[in-house]
Amino acid sequence: MNVKNAQPLEYSTHQNQLNILGFWIFLGAEIMLFATLFTTYFVMEHRTGNGPTGAEIFEITPVLIETFVLLTSSFTIGLGVHAMRIGRKNAMLAFFGITLLLGLGFLCVEIYEFVHYYHVGATYQTSGFTAALLTTLGTHGAHVTLGLFWGLFIMIQVAKRGITAQTANKSFIFSLYWHFLDVVWIFIFSFIYLKGMM
Amino acid sequence: MKELYPAKQVGGFVFSLFLTVIALLVYFMDMSFTLAMTILVVTAFVQATLQLVVFMHAGETKDGGAIYLNVLYGIIIALVTIIGSLLILIWDM
Repeated sequence: MNVKNAQPLEYSTHQNQLNILGFWIFLGAEIMLFATLFTTYFVMEHRTGNGPTGAEIFEITPVLIETFVLLTSSFTIGLGVHAMRIGRKNAMLAFFGITLLLGLGFLCVEIYEFVHYYHVGATYQTSGFTAALLTTLGTHGAHVTLGLFWGLFIMIQVAKRGITAQTANKSFIFSLYWHFLDVVWIFIFSFIYLKGMM
Repeated sequence: MKELYPAKQVGGFVFSLFLTVIALLVYFMDMSFTLAMTILVVTAFVQATLQLVVFMHAGETKDGGAIYLNVLYGIIIALVTIIGSLLILIWDM
């Protein structure tokens, strides 16, 4: 059931097109999820009680590593989708693999960061500020963790079944999710870390 | 090998690194709060738009209009929620 042959494989059936549009609507809801978290964070930002402030606990080095690692992973999954579109299965799997490794690296740095916060006395229950901070970062980190497993399963399917209308569709939708997480991180990087440290 | 690295994506990546470096100026340089926030707002939204258009291929099919409208709606609701809450709870207006 080809709707339009000129379009990439991931759009090749009516169902595939609806899947992609539906995922964009889900991303619209995700924008709202993170908007409410940012709202809470901005309201709680200066309610530090007896706990530390952002300027006291944020470290520039891990934040920079996280930012560049995630930006690069967003680029590599973009290359993965491009490789998929020109039918290069191995190159696609390699780029998806690099993306997931970068995602894992990001997660390791974030875990280090959470341990650091714990050691300097910024735990979940310390103040309104730390609660809002850790909830926002944690929600993003949980999304990345979910993405790692999701991406891994997609890679297994592509390796087993090849690039078909279905696997291409799933891979493309996963790439949308991954880019979205990068966009959310840019806002965390700018309005939580840089704003807190300047 | 070359066909695996399309100019559009490589250019988009270089530009996104450039935007990140610009945003970092607010950390490494002394500037007023207003100027710093202006830089952050501009770089963050340009970066988000870049991801949306270059990497997420938002506009490439006939659903492009619906997709952009959906994202725009999400952003508007997000901004109303954030700015509205700040107006009442932080800026005391």
